[in-house]
Amino acid sequence: MSESGTQLLARLEARRCLKDIEPQLFADDGGPDRGKTELLYHLLCRCVLPEAAGGLEVDVVFVDTDYSLDVFRLASVLDSRLSADGSAGSDDAVLRSCLSRLLVVRCSSSSELLLTLHFLETTLSSRPKAALLLIDSISAFYWSDRSEGGASVAKQEEKLSRCSELLGRLLRDYRITIFATCHPIRRTSSGPPSSSSEADRSHLCRAWQRLVTHRLVCSKQEAEHNPANGDQGSGEQRNRQVFTVHCSSWTGTKGSRVSSFRVTDGGVEFVWTHRPPPGLSVVL
Amino acid sequence: MVALLVGMCPGLDEGLLRSLRAADIRTVEDLVSSDIEDLAQKCSVSYKALFAVRRVLLAQHTAFPVSGADLYEELLSSTAILSTGNPSLDKLLDSGLYTGEITELTGGPGSGKSQVCFGVAVHIAYHLKQSVIYIDTTGGLTAGRLLQMLQTETNNRDEQMEALQRIHTFRLFDVCALLDCLYGLICGRGRGACVGGGSVKALIVDSVSAVIAPLLGGKQNEGMSLMRQVAAALKTMAKDFSVAVLVTNHVTRSGSGEAQPGLGVSWSHVPTTRILLERVESGASGRRSATLIKSSRQACLIKEDFDLQWWSRAEGGRGGGGGGETSGKRKLDETDP
Repeated sequence: MSESGTQLLARLEARRCLKDIEPQLFADDGGPDRGKTELLYHLLCRCVLPEAAGGLEVDVVFVDTDYSLDVFRLASVLDSRLSADGSAGSDDAVLRSCLSRLLVVRCSSSSELLLTLHFLETTLSSRPKAALLLIDSISAFYWSDRSEGGASVAKQEEKLSRCSELLGRLLRDYRITIFATCHPIRRTSSGPPSSSSEADRSHLCRAWQRLVTHRLVCSKQEAEHNPANGDQGSGEQRNRQVFTVHCSSWTGTKGSRVSSFRVTDGGVEFVWTHRPPPGLSVVL
Repeated sequence: MVALLVGMCPGLDEGLLRSLRAADIRTVEDLVSSDIEDLAQKCSVSYKALFAVRRVLLAQHTAFPVSGADLYEELLSSTAILSTGNPSLDKLLDSGLYTGEITELTGGPGSGKSQVCFGVAVHIAYHLKQSVIYIDTTGGLTAGRLLQMLQTETNNRDEQMEALQRIHTFRLFDVCALLDCLYGLICGRGRGACVGGGSVKALIVDSVSAVIAPLLGGKQNEGMSLMRQVAAALKTMAKDFSVAVLVTNHVTRSGSGEAQPGLGVSWSHVPTTRILLERVESGASGRRSATLIKSSRQACLIKEDFDLQWWSRAEGGRGGGGGGETSGKRKLDETDP
């Protein structure tokens, strides 16, 4: 059972039934190789695993816009979670039943994304157990849209704003939780994320920015050096990259929270949780 | 945006199209996003007919959802791991190039990227007996060098020719030609080489940054959008046709002076695995060091030293060798007449 470094996981835990899930839209930002995909897999596993292994047993829809879903990596994380639990061992049938709760849709352009989201409405209504929508990544068509739109900014942002409106409607009507990753367009300097992340303001359209209620900014920390434990005879130092997640949200009371996690063979492992100063009230 | 045309689907005739255009509905997206009841009233058509048209259009133009379990099954049966021919590189890549993924080699000039690409192409064509597509954008590919590498593998002229025939080469120097070539390969109108045939297992693009880097920067958006199209085409080839894609990239210096791969942040999430090649200061001329800078399977920053002359090792120990490689060289020398 991973330590819920971010309370949103605790939130998800409380909401199993579709009716009870409070609609939230999370945007996951961060530079390349900063653990965003790993966080997504972590959430995915948490949702599809059977209750015996600590999961929520809900259906998940994964919208893949840049062909980045690594099914093998996902399967290996699921496998290690299942066998760490000890109950079913590495039972193939259990793994397949977990994977069958996942629905993958691949989009190759923003118009296809818009049409697919419309199509998903019918899918969501026919699958009452679908509780989570993951979009990786929402910024994949940013440059194609910009060049197609020509000189007018409104035209450039048109498709993404329509997608955002549709997502907003899905949130209200079906009460699902949506996670989306966003790739930045500038290389941000590596350093501790500031509490007022104005510099990291999303470059996507206004309709999207209005929709986002929580934002998780991932960044890399200095690599930790773990001394050789003797299990590797060569004495080589294994650098384990530690990532920090800075979660800020602006629904109700404002608040922010910082956690760290490490990526291991078994997926994401939370390291420690940094409690915010007592003055700020923590949302989520 | 997909425009609405007559005959796109049953029920979409001239009359309906005209009334839709009058109501300012010109594309499929407009039709799908609008309120059907409202639209039916405005165009004075039956709600049922319009709803049916909407449903058919939606089914035609959306991506087909796949269950995770089916995807997993499909990948299990179609994924293969292609060895690069060099055991040190294989160790770094977790036993070789994976089909369905893009692997990137970055390095400064003279760091051996093209040589590694030649070696991989020759190994796959000769030992694994699979077709390779080699797209050369720098002009550095010569058949003579490939033949030289093959001659160290076998002395049989027919086998050499057979292996060379499995390597399909394309020489292009700008991004539009590259996109044209990639789309042609996907659709099957290339010169005899078609990815859909099933025997092509590897695609090597040397180098992808040579055609994209000149377009980046400044106020133009086209460069980024073209880069994104190239990335999408490569990924489609890799995933849909189960091909291992190997690309090369240049390096730039980061703020702190260390080498980092070129083409910026937007390209960095395209390759699944990235290796940085550098010259080894001390040591023989053929030695290079490879560092794993991005991988989803192994801990990053593992370094391996290897010899560029591994792929032509029977040529003798000229300047190369040292360490464990000599035994490999000696073995091959014995089989030479």
